[in-house]
Amino acid sequence: MFKQFFRKDIVFCLALGANANNATEWSKFIDREMRGDRSHAEIMMTIETPNWSRTLEIESDVEGKKQALSTINSPAKEKGIRTLRIENNMWNYFPKLKRKVAVSSSMLLASWMGSDFTNEDILKASSMAEDYEHKFVPNQKIEGTEYRVIENTAKSEAKVMWPKIVTYASPVDCLPRQYRYYDKQEKLKRVLYLDDVKTFDGHKLPTKWVMQPEDNAKKKTTIIYKNMKFNSSFKPNHFSQKNLTDY
Amino acid sequence: MIAIFLLFLSFSFKTFAKFDADISGNLEGQGRHSWNNEDAKKDLMQDWDDEDFYLIYGNLDGKVEINGSRLEANVFARHSKSDLYENDYIAPQIFTFPNKLVARDVFKLQHKKEVQDSRTELILNKLYYEWDYEEHRFMVGRIYINYGLGEIFNPINPFNQPTGLTAISQVAQGNDGFNFTFFVSDKYTVDFFLLGDKSVNGYEGQIDRTLWVHGEYQFSDKLQFDYVIGEDQKRDKLGAQVRYSFTEAMVFMQTLFQTDYVNNEESHPLWDMMIGYDQQIMNKWHIRAEGGYQKLNRYANLNTLSERFLPTEYFIAIANQYEIHPLVKITGTFVNDVKSGFTYFIARNTFDLGHGTEAEIFGYIPVAKGDKFSYPAQKLVTTDIGMALRTFF
Repeated sequence: MFKQFFRKDIVFCLALGANANNATEWSKFIDREMRGDRSHAEIMMTIETPNWSRTLEIESDVEGKKQALSTINSPAKEKGIRTLRIENNMWNYFPKLKRKVAVSSSMLLASWMGSDFTNEDILKASSMAEDYEHKFVPNQKIEGTEYRVIENTAKSEAKVMWPKIVTYASPVDCLPRQYRYYDKQEKLKRVLYLDDVKTFDGHKLPTKWVMQPEDNAKKKTTIIYKNMKFNSSFKPNHFSQKNLTDY
Repeated sequence: MIAIFLLFLSFSFKTFAKFDADISGNLEGQGRHSWNNEDAKKDLMQDWDDEDFYLIYGNLDGKVEINGSRLEANVFARHSKSDLYENDYIAPQIFTFPNKLVARDVFKLQHKKEVQDSRTELILNKLYYEWDYEEHRFMVGRIYINYGLGEIFNPINPFNQPTGLTAISQVAQGNDGFNFTFFVSDKYTVDFFLLGDKSVNGYEGQIDRTLWVHGEYQFSDKLQFDYVIGEDQKRDKLGAQVRYSFTEAMVFMQTLFQTDYVNNEESHPLWDMMIGYDQQIMNKWHIRAEGGYQKLNRYANLNTLSERFLPTEYFIAIANQYEIHPLVKITGTFVNDVKSGFTYFIARNTFDLGHGTEAEIFGYIPVAKGDKFSYPAQKLVTTDIGMALRTFF
């Protein structure tokens, strides 16, 4: 069974090639595909409860693990609010009041605009490939589909929110279909479902992300990647205080 | 009319290189019932028991951007109504803080109408032209000046009073003059300001000059230093802010020293200091603590209430915000004057109603009186319960 599965990996996950049986290489492959070296994304986020939903439109620019800039384009109340992260420093900018505020890096833990995503998720402050150690655990079949399962454990020096994340990856395209996030007590706290794989600038990635908190089954947050550019380069001072306040 | 003009401009210039126009704003209505402080009745001639107070205010903000330059304007309008106005009681000044919507005012770009039981103001509190050139930014006109980490007390920035304790949101004070920003490097930014101010009431032909420098230097990943130096409101001022970021939290300190009036008017030096702490405890719970000292200005007029929302000399404030639902946020803030014992509690519960609209229930409660030697203005603080409905467009 495992041999058969391994062969499938080699056939379909061409970019991963001979490293398909190495959990770390697999995680690096996912990071390369989904993050790239830099990216510009246009995102639609919908926060849903049974009686209510709210949609935000966001642009997000990310360069490596160190720099990120996000801008909210709608709704009206939050329009123009920007967040800049340079390494461990973060600033929010509120253009209507011309107010730039340095925020504690503990804000990376904070819920992003009432959603089930955190600032860390939106600003891509951590990297699964770099901040975690990886190992395969036995494959699992969920609703008739078999997944390769990687257990990612945070490195001791890594500044990350989740000590353990389990990746459920498709053996067909090697991309994740689920991330399960566990707290320090090994309790499952939330599950991120990924679907609808599309190709942007030669990078394949799931474009529909649904975050489901474990303690509230009635609530979820869906992110749709409307557009993604991996090849565009940013101007030299793109991730700067000047550009942050230029809105 | 302004909206139609900007839409026309937007349509006409779309074909040019880089053109952008945007209009946004907000509108809020508030109603509150207020109970007077017994000491204010006896000692400060505020002889009223309980009253209603109604307020409606809003901003209309317009922006036109062509290549590297930008024109921005904001009109702020406010109408308040209460029987408290009939006898010139002081409480409405607290309810409508900040009363002064232009901190440094040369041009009287405002309209005020006072009738027996209501006040109406229409103020152009932002109107400036901005030009960006490489690592420099120039701004001229009526500008917002917003720096400093204090949300309750922010002494290093005398050009924009913090509104963290007030019932008004989405407001900033304008300042008339010129600003040049030099982005020296990724870690160092310097702002130069030349501002003017003439008193709207009792103006005698003299414009007070403000020459001000604000620098911001990032020493390391964790440590940032801000400094301010200049002449403002006839005093020489010197101050600093230090911010240190831990993995889990942020600590910051501010101090500002002000000399006597430079023109030998009767005065004495002033100094302020504060220390603050900010932490996201868990993903839905945020805590902020600020404590500090503001030297009592013996020459200040009790009736102005223009500089700070709360009349305290030594204070500790703790603000907790908890998101109990994506729709519902609850905020509780305690402020205590260490010297007098005066303690004030502010509670807010905000509900997102969707479609850019939210409702808020708020309460302002002085839970402990100050001693008899306390800051007299503390006796003016009332007990209030109210509701607000706001919309953004």
